[in-house]
Amino acid sequence: MIILVGLSHRTSPLAVRESLAFAKDRLAEALKRMRQEAGVSEAMILSTCNRVELYGRSDEADGGARLEEFLCAFHGRPRPEIAPYLYRLSGPDAVRHGFRVAASLESMVIGEPQILGQVKEAYQMAEGAGTLGSALNALRNRSLAAAKRARTETGIGENAVSVSYVAVELARKIFGELRNRNVLLVGAGKMSLLAARHLVRGGARATVLGGRTFEKAEELAAALGGRAAPFESLRPELAAADIVISGTGAPGIVIRREDVEHARAARGGRHQRPLFLIDIAVPRDIDPEVRKLAGVFLYDLDDLRAVSEANLRERQKEAAAAEALVEREVREFLDWQKSLDVVPMLVELRKRADEVRRREIERVRQRLGSLTPEQEAALDAATSAIVNKLLHPPTVHLKEIARDGFAADQVALIRKLFGL
Amino acid sequence: MSSHVYLLFTLAFYAVGALHVLLQALTRRKLLTSWTVTATLIGFASHTASLAQRWTEAGHFPAVGLHDVSSFLAWALVLVFLMTYTRTRVEALGLVVYPVAFALVLVANMTPAAESDDPILRSYFLPIHATLAFLGYAALFVAFAMGLLYLVQERELKSRSPRRLYYLLPSLERCDTIGGRSVEVGFGFLTLAIVTGMLWSYRARGVYWTGDAKEWTALIAWVLYVILVLARQRSGWGGRRAALLGILGFAAVVLTFVWVTAASGVASAAR
Repeated sequence: MIILVGLSHRTSPLAVRESLAFAKDRLAEALKRMRQEAGVSEAMILSTCNRVELYGRSDEADGGARLEEFLCAFHGRPRPEIAPYLYRLSGPDAVRHGFRVAASLESMVIGEPQILGQVKEAYQMAEGAGTLGSALNALRNRSLAAAKRARTETGIGENAVSVSYVAVELARKIFGELRNRNVLLVGAGKMSLLAARHLVRGGARATVLGGRTFEKAEELAAALGGRAAPFESLRPELAAADIVISGTGAPGIVIRREDVEHARAARGGRHQRPLFLIDIAVPRDIDPEVRKLAGVFLYDLDDLRAVSEANLRERQKEAAAAEALVEREVREFLDWQKSLDVVPMLVELRKRADEVRRREIERVRQRLGSLTPEQEAALDAATSAIVNKLLHPPTVHLKEIARDGFAADQVALIRKLFGL
Repeated sequence: MSSHVYLLFTLAFYAVGALHVLLQALTRRKLLTSWTVTATLIGFASHTASLAQRWTEAGHFPAVGLHDVSSFLAWALVLVFLMTYTRTRVEALGLVVYPVAFALVLVANMTPAAESDDPILRSYFLPIHATLAFLGYAALFVAFAMGLLYLVQERELKSRSPRRLYYLLPSLERCDTIGGRSVEVGFGFLTLAIVTGMLWSYRARGVYWTGDAKEWTALIAWVLYVILVLARQRSGWGGRRAALLGILGFAAVVLTFVWVTAASGVASAAR
């Protein structure tokens, strides 16, 4: 049975999650200790900034409690203090949770793409540490496949929500393809660099306008595979640009309405073509008045955030579809898991053997006529003994195999041999 | 089966397409599904059968009178739409095309077919001239639709708070490119239609130009499109202004068209 203990942004404050997070370099050690100390046969730890979750495999009734104990002991935190933030799931619930996390249905921002990579990595770490067995490996394969399906078949992953990516998406809504579009960077913060990177990856050419220090502009241009230009050439550069990202630390307006008008006029017949201005500076760099110019699209930080919120609402509409899809996959997985279980197969096998036994007794009775109670008892005991003795070794053997992993092949073979 | 029965079938299938695309727009996912496309293809096949049947019934190419004209126009429109869709996969075009195609076939279904045995209609110029003209109209309608989509998407982008249409419509660039291409194609057909129309008129009446209102509107539309095509090619004109001119040019086409239909017959020029 798969069991799970964890805490997330939904159940706990950041400080608690931080204190229970597993550093990457201690993960292998933690996994091994988890297997020993918590008595689980398989172990996986997912530790991100939004959640810490321990996945294990155990058939003990107190498996969850022992995982909890281990988590607290490993980090040296008193259990009563931590317990209220934890959730403890087992069996189908743990499986369902694993699927939902991978599909980013449990994420703070539904549909965010990072979690899939993080889950993948967590499984890889467990594999590397040798704590991944057949049960968790099956969960890994099926939950990652379901997560990918949810992303491609529903819209939860569509429509960017991070501000820099929203800017890129807007650019695509204006220009379609980004290939050979000119991007002009005025000033360079982290966010403008990020957005510019996305654009360049889409095939755009970058030009970085230098500020007080030209070296920094050159450095940035090199990083983006573009070129640097002095600030004085703002107007000609503006005329050549399709997309402008401005993020200087200047206290006032850097790009005035006249600059933009001038640049538009300098484009000749092309001046009707769209110009996309992104102002991520606070205070703002670009005169909001330019918005009134035809074909000019100006988005400041607030606008980008508004788009991001609208995108998030769109995603949430898609979440229902993704939920349904993941739930179907969970059901399928659980059914499949059940089919591999040796216990129901053994019960069936025993039932079948007993049926055969009773039928044969009935036949003997018909042939011999009425028997004395002693004879009846002896016949019953003898046939039962035969069945039990024949079935005992395979039963023990199968239970052993099942303890180490899913006895998938054996179960299938026996079901076939006995026509179960 | 008579052309009317086929036309009823067509109406039903186009109704499925129109309803489905609008429903999809409301629930927002993909606009066109394989269901929509299949319904359209079946509708189109039945539409083609209806036209062929009607040709036999009328004894001349079915492009005379409101009934024939709206049916044939819808047919050309769906054909051009399907071709545009295959090439570009722009689904939002369906938002405009489906309701219009449906409306045209509805009109065709509700109006009686005009019967005429004017010998001029038996000229082989009729099928050539009418087909060229209608394909041209259809392509120019696509340009008009892309112009509309451009303006709507531009408004969405300018508003800085995206609503449903922002997500459904293609990028400005795409609207512009497809609109431009459609104008070129439509302009080509329109030019050929005007030339064949003149030849037909000469054949029938001995003059190339009779100077009636329909000819003038066609000429004005043609001149507008010349300007648009040249401006695009020569000076990289595009965007909002091109979208507006595409819409305006189509208004001129509609005017021509209404005139012709009111005069009840493509052949009015030759009369």
